[in-house]
Amino acid sequence: MSSASESMAKRKLLATIADEDSVTGLLLAGVGQISNEVGKESNFLTVIPGKTTVDQIEDAFDNFTTGRDDIAILLINQHLADLIRYKVDSYTNAFPAILEIPSKDHPYDPEKDSILKKVRRLFGE
Amino acid sequence: MEGLYFNINNGYLEGVVRGYKSGLLTTNQYVNLTQCDNLEDLKLQLSSTDYGNFMANYSGPLSTSVLQDNLSKKLFQQFQYVKSQSSGKLTKFMNYINYGYMIDNVILMITGTLHERDKSEILRKCNPLGWFDTLPTLSIATDIESLYSTVLIDTPLAPFFKNCVSADDLDDLNIEIIRNKLYKNYLESFVEFVTSEFDGPDQEIMIRLLTLEADKRVINITLNSLNNSDLSSEDKLSLFPSYGKLYPTYHLQLSQAEDIEQLKSIVEYIGDYKDIFNESGDASGLRGLGDWFYLLEMQFCRNAFTQQFTLSTVYAWLKSKEQEIRNITWIAECIAQNQKNRIDSYISVY
Amino acid sequence: MSGAGNREQVFPTRMTLGLMKGKLKGAQQGHSLLKRKSEALTKRFRDITQRIDEAKRKMGRVMQTAAFSLAEVSYATGENISYQVQESVQRARFQVKAKQENVSGVYLPTFESYINEDINDFKLTGLGRGGQQVQRAKLVYTKAVETLVELASLQTAFIILDEVIKVTNRRVNAIEHVIIPRTENTISYINSELDELDREEFYRLKKVQEKKQEAAAAAEAEEKAAQEAAIAAGAELSKITRVTSNEEITNDAQEVEKLALANGDDDLLKENEDDVIF
Repeated sequence: MSSASESMAKRKLLATIADEDSVTGLLLAGVGQISNEVGKESNFLTVIPGKTTVDQIEDAFDNFTTGRDDIAILLINQHLADLIRYKVDSYTNAFPAILEIPSKDHPYDPEKDSILKKVRRLFGE
Repeated sequence: MEGLYFNINNGYLEGVVRGYKSGLLTTNQYVNLTQCDNLEDLKLQLSSTDYGNFMANYSGPLSTSVLQDNLSKKLFQQFQYVKSQSSGKLTKFMNYINYGYMIDNVILMITGTLHERDKSEILRKCNPLGWFDTLPTLSIATDIESLYSTVLIDTPLAPFFKNCVSADDLDDLNIEIIRNKLYKNYLESFVEFVTSEFDGPDQEIMIRLLTLEADKRVINITLNSLNNSDLSSEDKLSLFPSYGKLYPTYHLQLSQAEDIEQLKSIVEYIGDYKDIFNESGDASGLRGLGDWFYLLEMQFCRNAFTQQFTLSTVYAWLKSKEQEIRNITWIAECIAQNQKNRIDSYISVY
Repeated sequence: MSGAGNREQVFPTRMTLGLMKGKLKGAQQGHSLLKRKSEALTKRFRDITQRIDEAKRKMGRVMQTAAFSLAEVSYATGENISYQVQESVQRARFQVKAKQENVSGVYLPTFESYINEDINDFKLTGLGRGGQQVQRAKLVYTKAVETLVELASLQTAFIILDEVIKVTNRRVNAIEHVIIPRTENTISYINSELDELDREEFYRLKKVQEKKQEAAAAAEAEEKAAQEAAIAAGAELSKITRVTSNEEITNDAQEVEKLALANGDDDLLKENEDDVIF
């Protein structure tokens, strides 16, 4: 467990994959971090409909979950998580934690949440 | 007397603008808008107003930002039409109106240049009202030094940049300060223009509106920098437009105000602004100060239309239209996010 | 108890029997401990699951309020500030600290919001207009992110607990259904083998005793003859000798029998045998 706690101490940041409004809000709260380090340039991805491709979202997802070692929590808009649902559902690590958040135009739907799905599966509902 | 020759150049345009003005949403129309259950309804309601089929070419999911974009587009078209018909003094006047938006666009471009963003992306975000031919060339400059010396100098905003910003200032921290300094210079120059070119009721109306604008900025800057130690009182003073009812008597005091109580007591010396904080003080008026100013501005704008043969109607109409777009966006936002209890906080004076 | 096949490959000796008994005891103890651990974890797990469910619903509301505060900003500023905000980001003001909490030997990480008030990238945003709304949106969103962090802790705990509970339950089941039956099988196997050996030994000893008695009888008869021959010569001495040897044999036989019943060791038996023969 010691190695885990070590890697945990390093994980301090919240990463974001979200639409413009959500990103703006979260950045206002102060989650954004910009640096010059390769692969760690920024910890948020603004998804603009029609401009950002699913590939880009996937890349960002991979980078935030496996590429970087300083992300503790990844916040992702639920409707964007839907785009890469297979990835989100098959992600089982505890770190970084993935949190599906609602966006302004897409209210939160607990039916789709991969964690809540697990919960329901466990209790056989 | 001025009415005698007014119509030669500006009669048609005044008519057009007054026509636009009568197309502004009325209180009844706003009530109808607030009754909508979703954005589709809202779009339908809007199509029965002066906006007509403004969304006809758009197919796809409706969102408030799409709505806002299309509303702004409509406003821009109308403004552009008026401007293209204008001549002489009116063109100059409308240029001055444009400058205000240009400042925002230039600041946007500078920010983008500082962060080496994709230029076309930024241009897309620029306000069309603040568009000028050399705006895209701003993106050619690769560093701040050349941006300043080769590009900014050639923009219509150059006079405002003069004496207020040096190349060293153009870094990240100061961008907001630059914006406000530019705006201060712009306002002062606008006032100068109005006092020298306009006369009679025209001047009276514009001075009243610009005074309000200047005081609004001063109060806002003071309020927003109360807890900000980065901004010394000299810095603040340099951001205040040397105009308005608070100038010059209270500017120094305002720049040194340390808490909201001091600010209040200073502002209350001005009779017109006596109840700013009274209204914003109660629990429902979280947006109080901003609303209060918006409301006052709208009242001034409405009154501007009571005068005949004035160019200031253009300004008043533009501001009213902007407020209208804000109102519609607000209503759309409330509908989209199911926050109907706040839906009534729009400002309607017509 | 399944067939004889399901046991460990051991020599059926008393030592292994002792070992196996120890193992069985250990397994049973481990089983009950793990079972208790699993129960404690499951209790915690259910608790967390419920809280996640609530928190997720709460998040929906919180994020809605937050999004709305952004609408207020755009109303007050009349423009979209998102670009400005995105460009003025420098360092994260809002960070998390991971802490650990021990639940029945499992370290559950919990995230704690950590706000560095020195960092403020948006001090001047909206200076000219809408500054208060920006600051308010900032506060609302900070609150919202705090809720999100809380939820993330729960969720991480959920994933880890889920994993640990699975592992623990696997262990409990393995002990219950594999290790314990197998150990028990082994023990019964050893016991049956040992019994078998004992029976053989007992029979062998009986046989030896029988032989010895025969030999003794023969010796006695011989001695009698000799006695009768030398009756006059050394009657005293011969009497003593006979009594001693008789006693010796009877004592030995009794001892062997007693040992066999008490499942004594093979070596010991052998030693006794040697004694007898000697």
